[in-house]
Amino acid sequence: MKILVVDDDPMAGMLTGAILEDSGHEIVSAENGVEAVDLLEQNPDIALVVSDMNMPLINGIELFHTLREQQVTLPFILLTGTALADVEQQAPGLDGCVMKDAELADTLPAMVQGILAGGH
Amino acid sequence: MSTTNEQTESQQAPSLREKIRRLRTTFVGKLPQMLQDIYSLCDRLSGDPANDALLADLYRMFHSIKGTSASFGLKAISQEADLAEALVQRLQAKPGNVRGGLMLQLKPEFQAVVARLESLMEEAEQAGLEEKTAVTTSFDMSTPVHKTNRKKIYICDDDALQAEQLGEQLACFGYNPSIFTEPDELRAAVLTMQPAAIVMDIVFPVGASTGTELISELQREIRLRIPVVFMSSRNDFQARLDAVRAGGEAYFTKPMRAIDVVETLDTMTNNRDPEPYRILVVDDDPEVAAYHSFILEQVGMTTRLLHEPELVLDVLADFKPDLVLMDMYMPGCGGRELSQIIRQIPEFISLPIVFLSSETNKNKQVSALRVGAEGFLTKPIQPEDLISAVAIRAERMRTLRSLMVRDGLTGLFNHSFMSQYLETALAGAQRDDGRICFVMIDVDLFKTVNDTYGHPAGDQVLVALARLLQQRLRSSDMVGRYGGEEFAIILPDTDLDEAWQIINGLREDFAAIQFQSGENDFSCTFSGGIAAYPENERSEQLREFADQALYRAKQAGRNRIFRSGD
Repeated sequence: MKILVVDDDPMAGMLTGAILEDSGHEIVSAENGVEAVDLLEQNPDIALVVSDMNMPLINGIELFHTLREQQVTLPFILLTGTALADVEQQAPGLDGCVMKDAELADTLPAMVQGILAGGH
Repeated sequence: MSTTNEQTESQQAPSLREKIRRLRTTFVGKLPQMLQDIYSLCDRLSGDPANDALLADLYRMFHSIKGTSASFGLKAISQEADLAEALVQRLQAKPGNVRGGLMLQLKPEFQAVVARLESLMEEAEQAGLEEKTAVTTSFDMSTPVHKTNRKKIYICDDDALQAEQLGEQLACFGYNPSIFTEPDELRAAVLTMQPAAIVMDIVFPVGASTGTELISELQREIRLRIPVVFMSSRNDFQARLDAVRAGGEAYFTKPMRAIDVVETLDTMTNNRDPEPYRILVVDDDPEVAAYHSFILEQVGMTTRLLHEPELVLDVLADFKPDLVLMDMYMPGCGGRELSQIIRQIPEFISLPIVFLSSETNKNKQVSALRVGAEGFLTKPIQPEDLISAVAIRAERMRTLRSLMVRDGLTGLFNHSFMSQYLETALAGAQRDDGRICFVMIDVDLFKTVNDTYGHPAGDQVLVALARLLQQRLRSSDMVGRYGGEEFAIILPDTDLDEAWQIINGLREDFAAIQFQSGENDFSCTFSGGIAAYPENERSEQLREFADQALYRAKQAGRNRIFRSGD
């Protein structure tokens, strides 16, 4: 599957990309929300979006809302450095939220797998 | 993002674990730069507390360090970044116009967090260095006692012999070279662990521009500039243009002189770190003094605080500042009187003194300048103004001082400075029950070198020896050119046998350096003599016995080091 990874920190983006590539996915990466929207238009075969929460210009939740407003219904996973208590209220309909920690290499592929198998 | 399919040690695509390990190494390598960015943000913020955009940038820096380091399993760094992030959030909660007070209040806590982050980052980097060993040959010729932190240089050339020769020469000058004959090997090594610089050939069997192409690709991929020097038998415009576009900082056509490469590497990798400016801050108000010193330390200066003016002479002698920053009005003894006292000591007659005061009366400022102040700064001062005012004057002081005490050709200390320093060092050793060795070195048959290969070749030898001595000795060791081809070294806290080990190691390395003159390659040697304190008590004795030992070393056939008494 083709997955869009959005992260303003290139190192973090590369890490996320490497983890997903390892479970056999193809990665397209964007450094900010604007680039993400462009890439989604150019790559209609993208099946899922994984985005960092804390980014300049547009943060992860704002990107999620923007996409939904544009009728983009792709599954959306948010990556966060801090556990977000109210993420459900802030972004109803979010497909998943994963903490950036040392277990990311296990938790992220598992969640991606679950969502893609869930038949979106 | 591009992935690579090059063959690795395991002969297959790197595992996820390996990839993560490499990314982690890259991340750790970038931490110092991030910390620099943090410092500069803090710096700008302290002059502009109401700037929300700066604060937001700072927040994101910490947030990103927190998240990414947690992902890489660097838990301690992540926790500290989390604390820092929380402090920034507290600041963000305050409206800009009343933020200054809270900022001052949080400063100690913030400084402590950043200091802990810095030391954790250093630890992580150190752990990374130990994890990875050099990929191929490394020529470790370091002397055990005075081993410094050697900078890693990757040399990539399909001509293994040439690469190894260059590597050997670089090792003589204190670098830690690794040799790669295949571009893919270099690529893998750079991705694993970034060197201080790369020396890259351009023409490889697979392509006439392989070198520049590979470097362009790497620079794009890792998004971190590694200094690169290109070397090539090609001397055409296109090759040079490609090299510039690939970010090359220098271009050498083969055959090149190792010493030229060393000189370029020195500048690029800052092998001889300039000593930080030393600033003495005199202010009766500890808070104000701490604030000014904080600003100066953020840009890497070393500061010492003094709140009691009556202790100034002791502190000057002990701290040896490049500049004194002084409050104009202090109870007991004002800035003007204090600078008059300082100026009465011959040693400090040229020491720059800068007044800092809320005095805006021009007449009073002029009267302060009359007693020998270098400059007058008005409080409150913008951090950047304070930094530039101090840096410019401190630098000028350094330059003036070095013109007076340094030898023009080699940049080493001159004869009179060395004599003076020897006296000072002896006085110190007598007081502290310390040890000192005094070494005299003389290049063997130097006249023959000049006569055979010409004076430029002779100068090349002297400069190379000066460089070798400076790089391989400790910063507390003093190296001087005594005149002609004669050098002197003062080694504090060293006994006669240790000194012999060190100097003899340098002798062996020096003999291995290849010099070029036209078509000819040649090498040089030196002889040395060492005398020690407290065995010899006075400076004249030290000089005399070192000289005698040197004479005996020459008599015994040169290229050897003798101790007084050998």
